[in-house]
Parts: sequence; C-alpha cells; structure tokens
Amino acid sequence: MNKLFVSLVKEILLLLSDKVGLLLMFVMPLLLVFIITVVQDSAFKLVNENKIEMLIVNKDDGNLGDTLIDNLIKSGSFNIEISNTLMKSEIKKQTLYRDKLIAILIPENFSKKIGQNAAKISNLMLTEFGVIDSSQSLQSSKLMNNNNLDFYFDPILQENFRISILSGINTVLIGIESRIMLQQLFADLGYDNIPKHIQKELGKQNITINSVPASNGTSELVPNSSQHNVPAWSLFAMFFMVISLGGNVVKERLSGSFVRLQTIPSAFLLTIWSKVIVYLFVSLSQLTVMFCIGMFVFPHLGLPDLKMPSNILALFVISILSAYAAISYSLLIGVYAKTQEQAGGFGAISIIIFAAIGGIWVPSFIMPEYMQNIGMISPLHWCIEGYYTLFLKNGEWKELSGTLIYLLMFIFGCQFFTFIKLRKQNYI
Amino acid sequence: MESPIITTVSLFKYYGKAEKPSLDNINLTIFKGEKFGIFGPNGAGKTTLISLLCNILKASSGTIEYSFDDQKKNIKEKLNQVGFVPQDFAFYSELTAKQNLYYFGGVYGMSSISLKEQTVNLLEILGLTSVADNKVKSFSGGMKRRLNLAIGLIHSPEIVFLDEPTVGVDIHSKLTIINYLEELNKKGTTIIYTSHHLKEAEDFCSRVALMDNGKVIALDSVSELIKINNAANLEELMINLTGKELRD
Repeated sequence: MNKLFVSLVKEILLLLSDKVGLLLMFVMPLLLVFIITVVQDSAFKLVNENKIEMLIVNKDDGNLGDTLIDNLIKSGSFNIEISNTLMKSEIKKQTLYRDKLIAILIPENFSKKIGQNAAKISNLMLTEFGVIDSSQSLQSSKLMNNNNLDFYFDPILQENFRISILSGINTVLIGIESRIMLQQLFADLGYDNIPKHIQKELGKQNITINSVPASNGTSELVPNSSQHNVPAWSLFAMFFMVISLGGNVVKERLSGSFVRLQTIPSAFLLTIWSKVIVYLFVSLSQLTVMFCIGMFVFPHLGLPDLKMPSNILALFVISILSAYAAISYSLLIGVYAKTQEQAGGFGAISIIIFAAIGGIWVPSFIMPEYMQNIGMISPLHWCIEGYYTLFLKNGEWKELSGTLIYLLMFIFGCQFFTFIKLRKQNYI
Repeated sequence: MESPIITTVSLFKYYGKAEKPSLDNINLTIFKGEKFGIFGPNGAGKTTLISLLCNILKASSGTIEYSFDDQKKNIKEKLNQVGFVPQDFAFYSELTAKQNLYYFGGVYGMSSISLKEQTVNLLEILGLTSVADNKVKSFSGGMKRRLNLAIGLIHSPEIVFLDEPTVGVDIHSKLTIINYLEELNKKGTTIIYTSHHLKEAEDFCSRVALMDNGKVIALDSVSELIKINNAANLEELMINLTGKELRD
C-alpha cells in the first residue's frame, strides 16, 4: 500500500473527526468576512449615503442662520430637526439620550457678525485695489472671530465620521460666507445686488472631481469594502489553522504516535508531508469558498461584489505561498509548543499580533513609521500586500516580487527551525 | 547453535549535559527466538535501552548491530523488521481500531491484501473484532492495551519490543496478551520485554537482564539467576541486588 496515500487518508480522517476545528476553519472566516464587510459598508453609507440625524437650534436674529439651515437641508446629507427654544444644556441631553448624533447651535448675531466680517474684508479689498482711499478704510475695526457655531456630537461618533460631517458643514458655511462677501463687495461698489448673470454662474459647480483608482493597464477594478475585506479576513482565518494544525502536531507528539512513527523508517517525514498536503488543500478550499461568496453571494446581500484580478495565475501562486506560510508557521508552533494549550494560546495571539501589525485590521499606511517597519516582519503583511497588488491595483509579477521573496524566506525560515527541532528530538 | 539477533557494544547514553550516563557501557547479546526480559527499579535505564534499540534515541557512543536471517541491506530495512509496543498508548483515538491498523500497516509498506488479512487476524486473536469499526476513544483500558499491541505486531516483525505491555489491564486482557506473545514466540519472533510484574516476567521470560543505575548488573536465565543468588523468586532477587531504597 502506498505510504503517502495511507498517511493522507489518516490526516483526512483526523481532520474530518475534528468537527469544531473544521467549523472554525470554514465558518469563522465566512462570519468574519461577512460581518466586517457589512460593518465597513454601513459605515461608508452612514457618511456618504444615509442621512444623518441632526438637531439645529437657531438663535440667530438675522437671516443667515436660516440660510445655513436651508443649505444643509439642500446638501441632502442630514435629516434636520429644528428646535430654537432649547437651551445649551438641553442640546447636550438631546444628543446624548435621543437619536440625534449631532447638533448645531447657531449663536445670536450670527448674521450680524458674518456681515461685519464681510464688510471689513470687502473694505480691505477695495482699499487694496485703490477703489476707495485709505482714509475711508475700516482699519480700526477687527475681524470678528467669536461668531463660532457650536457643534455637539454623540461621543459614540467616531473621529473620522465626525471630521467628515464637520467638513460637510464647513463647505456649506464657506459657501454662505463667500456669497455674503461678494454681496458686500458689490454693495460697496454701488450695486443693489449681485448681477443676475454673475449669480447664475456662481451657482454652477464648474469643476467636478473624478475619483480614479491607480491601477495597471485598463483595469476597471474599483476598490470597495469587499475587495479589501474578503482577501484580508480570509488570510486572517487561514493563519488561524495554527490552532488546528499546531495543536494536532502537539497532540500526536504527546500521545505517543510520533514515538511509534520514529521506529518506522521514513514514516515521520511522510506524516509531516501528508499534513502539509491536506492543510494546503484545506487552505485553498477556504480561499475558494471565501472568494466565491464574495463574488456570488455578497451582491444578493446588498454588499459590493468581489471582482477577481485579471492575473489568475499570480493569484494562485500568492494563495499557495500564503497557505504554505500559514502551514509552515503552524508546524513550527506545533513542534516547539509543549502542550496543546500552549500551541493554541501562543499561536492565536501571535496571529492576532501579526494581523494587527500587518495591516489586516487597519491599513499599514496610517500607522506610525516605526510600526510600519515592525509590520514588515508579519507574514500576513506580505500576504495581504500580494492580494492588494492583485485585487486593488491589478498588479503584475514584477510588483509581486517583494511579496514572493519574503514569503519564500518566511517559509524557509519556519521549516529550517522546525527541522532543527525535529532533528534534535531524533524524529528525523 | 543460537544466533544473535541484536548485539550492543559499549553502549553509552547521556541526556543533555548530564555527567552521569543513563546507560553505562551496555554490552548485550540477544538471541533469535528469545523471550528476553529487561528489569530494574525506576530510573534503571530500561526504557532508555529499549528506545536506543528501537532507534527512538541515538546513543552517545557504542554500536547496535541487528542480524536478520535475510541479511537486510540497510538500517531502514532492518528497522522495518522491528515492532515496538510502547508503554503509553500510541495510536489515534479519533480513528477506529481498523483505521489505526491500516494506517500503521500502510506506513510499514505492507501490501493491501496482507494488511487486510493481518488486520482481521489480529483483531480476532486479541478480541477486538466486534469493536473494529468503533472509535478508539470509546475503548476500555484493556481494549486500548490490546490494540496498542496489535499495532506493534501488524507487520509481523522479527523482533518485538514491549514496554510494560500488560500495565493497567484486567486478568482477562493480560492472559490474552501473554498467550498471544507465547504463540508468536513459538513461531520464531524474538520478544524483548520490560515489566514491573515480576511474577509475570518470571513465568514468561527465558532470559533476563537486571539493570540498575544504567548498568546491567545481572544477565542469565531466570532460574539460573535465582539459584546463583540464593533467592526465592525474581522479586527477592531484585531486592537483593538493587536494595530497598526508594527509586524515583
């Protein structure tokens, strides 16, 4: 009977008998990918597609407060509730205990102060242009800087969302201030109002911004939460095989099976190779299931679909190397750990750390430089770099060379130290 | 004339940086067809010696020579003729008895037909046929011990090393195991055996080596050793030669 065949059968039977391990290997990545993608997609929609609940308390006695409210409504980003009778302390309560995530208090004299600032700037400009002489200028007056809006927010609102909302409000405010400034300028020049044809032109947005993802060739890959999350969390789950495979190695070592195998020529290496082959198959199956779900199931759940890169061969090579790196690391943990608990505990924590520093949870580029450098030691960093190069940039072999070299080095390193330990224990 | 099957010359084994050897100059000759017992108190070096003879450990110095009838060419072929039944259960609890036997027989390189025949045969002899397709984790201690033995014998080895093969089992399992070992020995299998059951060893072994502190302190047939040392039995002989001090 073929020795490799019986070893493979044994590994498959052991794997199938570990129902919980199998469930973890296939259901956990599914849940991870699904949950993270839904969460990130919802967060994106919260800021960009959904209307945010906003409370406005307008204490302004002029009309610019109303103009600001009108423009915020027109922006389409907010569901606005106006309650002008509320006091400052009550606004805080409203944002804390009701469903209003944000609130704005427009102060008294808001219009007056913007008007005064506009008058001052207009006067300065006209003086500069020589339209009026310096004796008429309002040099003694200062720009009013105490006409601040108060922005209240629910503390659960994360900083990036808050900044995004503030940026939207700021854009509306700048529009109002610019308009008032122009009105003042025209008034100072003797016009009753801004001429209609100029108003018409000002109302147009002449420059639009096209978002163009940088990618190779004529790729039409558009980065979305699925393109980021499906490869990232599939890799994370794949490396979690350390619990199953690492634990499996420790268990066999401690159970005495390995001792018996030591007495059988070549049997030990066969066992190791059969583990590698079976787990390689499992890892690639995990990735295939994940990618298929991203491609075919996500669109039915209202999530963006996963678009496969054009270089399928490169995807296959990166997937094999990533899986082999995960297997090599699991074997390393398995031969050095003294107990199954040690393999599971250390293995799981090390994978979480590798994922955190490797850019699986948050992109590496937003980390401080020293963390980015530390992250380079993480195999997950290089695996995800490889996938991003393919899934987001439609990259070619040349751009994958760094990833390939690192992963090969990592695999070699893990196997070298595994070999040393097994040799020391006379297993091989 | 008896022909040697295993010969050790000046065998030493040191663990790590220990100054005292765990095996100290072991010179043994074990003959084909013997039922050879290795006995001694805890820490005497019995398991270390068996581990060296089975290639589980490497000797610090000295040689081990195997002499089989058909003059196997290399150490791999020679070791394929060795069966090992460790004291700890060495099988996969998540697999069935049959799956375990198929696996270990397969890695010994047995042909499919002889593996199936030998599996049926061993399961029958050792009383495991009715549970052949049950997962081993559901087995009783005695059933596990018998399966442990069956796996070591699946490839019909010329030499079998048994480290405490009857520890922790009831009298019925013990009898089944001992009877089968007797039967194997009659067919020419050399049996090398360690046990703490000295009465069982006295009845079973044709020749014994008594070990203490890594050395062989007595080597002969049981009856001869008892006679020379003026002891009533193997137990008294061991106390006489190794003292009454506790060994850990």
